[in-house]
Amino acid sequence: MKIGRVHSWKKVLAQLILLVAPTVLFFFYLLWDLNHFYTILENGWVMQGCYFMAGIVITTVFYAWRFRFITTLALLLLFYYGIYKYVAGLSIGEFDAFYLSVQFIVFIFLFSLGWLAGFGFSRSKYFTVFWSVLLLVIQIIVVSKTTDVKVNVLISAFAPVLAYAFYIIYTAELIRNMNEEETRFSWFIIKRITGFLLVILVMFLVIFNIFKNDFKAIEKEWGNAQANYDKGDGKSENMNQKDKDGGMGNKDQTKLSGNLSKDKQLVFVAKLDNYFDDGKTPNPLYFTSCYYTKFDTLTQTFERDSLMPYNDLFEPDPSRIPLYFTKWDSTVIKNTFATKNRKVVTADIYKVALSASRYIAPSTAFFCQPMSVPKEYKEQYKSTYRAKMWVSELNSAYFIYNPAGNKMLEQFQDVRFAKLREVKKITGPDKKFMDYYTYMPRNDDYKKITQLAKQVTANTNTPVDKMIAIRDYFLSKDEFKQPLFKYSDNPGIPGMPSANKLCYFLFENKKGYCAYYAGATLFMLRSLGIPSRVAAGYLTVDRSSKNPGWYWFYANQAHAWVQVYFQGYGWIDFDTTVPDMNTHQASQPDGTPPTNMPQTYLVADGEVLELDTLKKQIKMTVEKLLYHDKDYVTTKAKEMTIDVSMATITADTGAVKLSSIKKGNHITAVSYAEVLKNILADKKDSLASIINKLPVPVPIDELKVMSKEELKKLKKKNKELPTEPIDWIRVGWILLLIITALVILLFLSPWLIWQYYNTKAKQMNNAKAYNSYRAALYYLNQMGYPRDGKGPQEYAYEIDLKFTSVSNPVRVSNPDRGNGTNLHLISFSSFSNLYQKTKYGSIPLTEAEQKMVNEFYKPFIKQVKSKTKFKTRISKFLNIYNTIHYFTQPKINN
Amino acid sequence: MEEQNVQLEQTLGNIQKLVDNVETVIRGKRMQIQYVLTALLAKGHILMEDNPGTGKTVMAKTLAKSIAGVQGGEASFKRIQFTPDLLPMDLIGSHIFDDVKKEFVFKKGPLFCNLLLADEINRASPKVQSALLECMAEHQITMGETTYPLEKLFFTIATQNPVEMEGTYPLPAAQLDRFFIKIYFGYVDEATELNIYKDYLGIQNNLDNIKQVLSMKEILFLQEQTEKVFIHEEIITGVRNIVRDTRKHPDIVLGASTRSGITFLKCLKAFALVNGRTFVTEDDLNQLTGPVLDHRLIFRNKEAKQKALATILTKELDRLSRLKITTNANTYNQSPI
Repeated sequence: MKIGRVHSWKKVLAQLILLVAPTVLFFFYLLWDLNHFYTILENGWVMQGCYFMAGIVITTVFYAWRFRFITTLALLLLFYYGIYKYVAGLSIGEFDAFYLSVQFIVFIFLFSLGWLAGFGFSRSKYFTVFWSVLLLVIQIIVVSKTTDVKVNVLISAFAPVLAYAFYIIYTAELIRNMNEEETRFSWFIIKRITGFLLVILVMFLVIFNIFKNDFKAIEKEWGNAQANYDKGDGKSENMNQKDKDGGMGNKDQTKLSGNLSKDKQLVFVAKLDNYFDDGKTPNPLYFTSCYYTKFDTLTQTFERDSLMPYNDLFEPDPSRIPLYFTKWDSTVIKNTFATKNRKVVTADIYKVALSASRYIAPSTAFFCQPMSVPKEYKEQYKSTYRAKMWVSELNSAYFIYNPAGNKMLEQFQDVRFAKLREVKKITGPDKKFMDYYTYMPRNDDYKKITQLAKQVTANTNTPVDKMIAIRDYFLSKDEFKQPLFKYSDNPGIPGMPSANKLCYFLFENKKGYCAYYAGATLFMLRSLGIPSRVAAGYLTVDRSSKNPGWYWFYANQAHAWVQVYFQGYGWIDFDTTVPDMNTHQASQPDGTPPTNMPQTYLVADGEVLELDTLKKQIKMTVEKLLYHDKDYVTTKAKEMTIDVSMATITADTGAVKLSSIKKGNHITAVSYAEVLKNILADKKDSLASIINKLPVPVPIDELKVMSKEELKKLKKKNKELPTEPIDWIRVGWILLLIITALVILLFLSPWLIWQYYNTKAKQMNNAKAYNSYRAALYYLNQMGYPRDGKGPQEYAYEIDLKFTSVSNPVRVSNPDRGNGTNLHLISFSSFSNLYQKTKYGSIPLTEAEQKMVNEFYKPFIKQVKSKTKFKTRISKFLNIYNTIHYFTQPKINN
Repeated sequence: MEEQNVQLEQTLGNIQKLVDNVETVIRGKRMQIQYVLTALLAKGHILMEDNPGTGKTVMAKTLAKSIAGVQGGEASFKRIQFTPDLLPMDLIGSHIFDDVKKEFVFKKGPLFCNLLLADEINRASPKVQSALLECMAEHQITMGETTYPLEKLFFTIATQNPVEMEGTYPLPAAQLDRFFIKIYFGYVDEATELNIYKDYLGIQNNLDNIKQVLSMKEILFLQEQTEKVFIHEEIITGVRNIVRDTRKHPDIVLGASTRSGITFLKCLKAFALVNGRTFVTEDDLNQLTGPVLDHRLIFRNKEAKQKALATILTKELDRLSRLKITTNANTYNQSPI
C-alpha cells in the first residue's frame, strides 16, 4: 500500500523549523512557569517539555502523509494502554504505583497535547487560533491563582503568550498559503519571516529606547524576584546572607521553609545607651535591619517593599561615608508619626562579620557616623559607626523574655501596657497607610487565621491587649501541661508542598522558628485591623552583667518579629517567638568591649595628589574638613600636606600598606594629635584659613582609603538609585501619543506623497511631461480613478468623460485670449497622447505641442478639484488604500 | 525623403477615411475595422470569429470594396463559402485539358486574387483548411511540378463560427498561428443597434455605393512604410516580457512562440500607422495583445482564458507607465525590422 503525501518535505521542514520549534520553546517556558504553581509537576519541566516535543515532532512528520486522525488516535490510545499495563506490572509498592501513575498521566497528557498540536499544525486551517486561545486561557488561569496582581506579573504572563500567538498565526498562515512548487520557496519564507521579525524587532527597539529607564527599573524588580526562586532551590532557609564583600547581613526576604540553618559566628558588637528610668538597668532593643511589609503568598516569602507608605527605614551605606562625617535623614522621624514618649538614643556598632556596607540599628534610626576602630581593636573589629535613633521609651526587647521576678521589669511592662491601653483604636495617619498595613490575602487559609485571631482575642478590647493575648496564646499550655507551641529550627513542611505553611504551623504542626511566629502574629493582628509589619534584624540578648549596655550579636541571633503601630507612639516592637532553649543556653563568650575612642581634632577628606613613601608624606586636596567637631566644606579644593609616618592605613578590606595608596585615591585622614588641641578655629574661619593655621605637615593617626573602583561603583549606584517606580499612566500617555502621531502620519502620507509629485510636476524641465503625467495619475488614483490595467488612451478617455466635459472640448491654449491667468483646459487624452509621443516617439514635439504639455497640468488639476466635492476629496485623500494600490505592482501568478 | 513623408501623411489620412467609409456600413465597429487594416498592413491575414449575423461577412465585403472598388478595379476580390464538401482544388484551381492546344492548362482557382474572403473557414474539412493556410503562409501555390506565385498583395479575411457550433472542424493551433490577428465581433451597443434597425435599408445602399478609398499602390506603399515605423526599445522589451510571461503563467498550457513575438511587433507597427502615428505606444500594446496572442495560446480552462492574458498585460502596462523616458531616440527611418 502506498500512502500519498499531504505536504512535501520542504513544507514539513518549514513547519518543523518555523512552527514546531518556537512552539516547543514556548512550551518549555510555559512548563517552567507552571512548575512554580503546581506541585504535581514536581519541577520536572525539562523532561515534560521533552514529552511535548516528542509528541509534536512525531506527529508533524507523521501527518505529512495521508493518515486519518481517528484511526491513528485509536492506535495511540492502544499504545498508551500497553505502556500502562507494562508499568503497572513493573512497580512495587503503593507509593511507587502512585508516583509512576501520576508521572505517566503527565506524560500522556503532554504527549497527547503535542500530538494534537502536531496534527493541527499539519492539517487544520484554524488550529493556530484555537491553540493560541488555549494557551491564553492557561495563562489567565495561572494569573488568577496569583493573589497579588501587579503589572510586571501580568506582563511576564501575557507578553510571551501574545507574542507567540501573533507569530504562530502569521507563520502558519504563511506556510499554509505557500506554493510548494515555487523554486524559491525557502527564499520566500525567509524573506517573509525576516521581514516580520524585523518589524517586531524595530517595534521592540523603539519601545525599549523610549522606556529604557522604566525597563531598567522593571529589570531590577525582576532581578530580585528571580533571586527568590534561585534561593528557593536549596530547601533550607537562612536568615543571614553573604554580601558581595564577604560580610554578612539580613536578607531582603525570608521564606518560610522546612528548616533554618544557623551558625554561631559573631556578627557584631554594639553599645546601646538605652537604660530604664533608673539610669542603670540597660533596656535592650532589637536591632532592625529592614522591614518586611509584603508577603508573597505563592512562594510564602516575606519581602521588602520599596513602595511602602511613609518609609521610615534609614538605610545609609556606612562604608561610603567618609570617616567621622555624618549622614542623617529627618524624614524618617517625621514618617514615624511618633510624638509621645520618644527620645534620641545613641548606639555604637562594631562590625565583625557584618558587611561593611550594612547599617543596623534599633528603630527608628536616622543618623550614621562612621568612626575609626581604636588601634588595639583593629584586628578584632573591621569598622565601626555611631547610630542615633528616635526611640520610644515604651520599646523594649523584653516582651516574651521576661525575666521573672525582676520587679523593675514587671513594673516597666505594666507601665508601658497601661500607656498603650490608652490607644483604643488605631486609625493611622491616613487610609492608604491603614490599607497597606492591614492588607490580608483573600483566601480560605487566611479566613481560618482570622477566625483564630478573633477566638484568641475574644475577651480583649484594646490593641495592646489583643497583642498580649496573641503572645499568651503562643505561650499557653495544652491539656497535658505541655507548651502548645514549640520553637524549632526544623519544623518540617506540610504534606502538600503548595499548602499554606502558616496554617500548617498554626493548626497542625505548632512548631517553627521566628519567621513563623512573626508571620502568624502579623496576619492575626492584621485580621483584627491592627496595622503591623515584620521587622528583620538581630535579637538583642542581655548576657553581660559586667559591661552594661554592651551586647554581642551572633549569626544565630538573626531574627524576625512584629512591629505594631500605635497612634501617637509609633511603631513598637513585639516578639512572639517562644523561647528557644538553645539560644539561651548558648555559651558564647562575650569579649571585652573596646575602650573609649581618643578625641579627634581633625578629619580631612579628599584626593591624593602626591605620595612620598620615603618621607611618609602625602600631599592631598581637601574638599571636606571636620575640625574640632565643626564641618567645613568648599567647592575649591585646598592642598594640604600630611605626615602619615604614625598613621594606621585602612581600606574597607582591612589594614593596607602605604605603598598601596595611588595618586588620585580618595582618602580620609584623621588626627588625634595634641598639637591641634590648642589651635582653635574662629567663627570667621573657612576651610582654607584653617589649613593655613595648621602645622606642615599635619600629623595624621588614621588614614582610610577608598579605592577608585569602589568610587566608581558608588557613582554608578548613585546614578541607579534615583530610578523611580514606573508611572504606568505616563507610559500609557506616551504610548498613546506615539500611536496618535503614527496614525496621523499614516493618514497624512497620501497627501505628503501628493505634495512631492505636485512640486515635481510644477517644475519646468525636460521631464515635464513625465512629471505632469505621474502627478495627474497619482491625483486621479487618489480620487478613486486608478489606471490599473487600462491603456493610456482608454484611461484618458474615461477621465475626460468624467472631468473635462463634452461642452468644454479640447482646445489648444490661445495666446491671444489670455494673459497667463486665463489658462485653457487641455483634455487629458490629448495630453496623454502627447506624453506617449514624447515617451516612445522618434520625432520631437512641435512648439505648439510642447506648449500644450507645459500648460496642461495646473488647469487640469484645478478642473478635477472643481468637479469633486471638498468632502469627497478629503475622504479620498485619507484613504491610504488608494495610495498603497498606486504603488503596488501587479503580479501575474495567482 | 520629404516627398515620401508628404505621401505618407496623405495615405495616413486616407486610412482614416477608409475607416470612416467602412463605418458607414458596419456601424460601431471602428476597432474591428482598425484591426483588419492592421493585419493588411502587416502583410498578414485576419480571422474573425463570432456567431452568425454579427456582420462579419458584410464587413469583409465592405472592406474589399473600398479597397478594390465596386467594379473590381485594379485589385481583385474573391469570396469562397467554405462547406464540408469543398475540395482543395476548388480553391487552388485545376489542370484542364485544352482542346485547342491539346495540353493540360492550369485554370487558376479563386486564390489567385488580392483580397480573399474565406467565409466560415471552419466548416470545411481539415484538408481544405490546410491547403488554404499553406498558401497564406508560403504566398505561392505548387501544383504538380509548377509553382505559381500568388499576387503581390494577397490578404485573406477568414470568418469562422464559434468552435462549439455543429458541423465545424476546429482549426489546430498551428494553423491558427498563420492568422496575424483574430478578432471577436461581438454585438453592437444598444444605441447603435437601434440606429441600424432604423436605417436597415440605408446600409444595403451604402454597401452598394461604397467607394474605393485606397488604391492598391497606396496599400503596397503603406505596407512598405509599416516596416519603418519607429518602435521604442522599451516597447520591444515589453513584447518580449509579455511573450515570456505567457510561457510562465500557471494558467497557460501553451505559451506564445518567438514567431508570435515577431508577428506581434509587425502588428504593433501596422496598428500605429492605422492610428495615424509613426511610432508605437503603450496603447498599441494594450489594444493588440489580445487579438494577436489570444488565439495562439492554450489555456487551462475557460476562466483562465478571460483572465490570464489580461493580468500579463496589466503587469507590463504598469511597468511601462512607471518608466521615465524623456529623451527621443533615433529617427524612425533607422529603426530595425
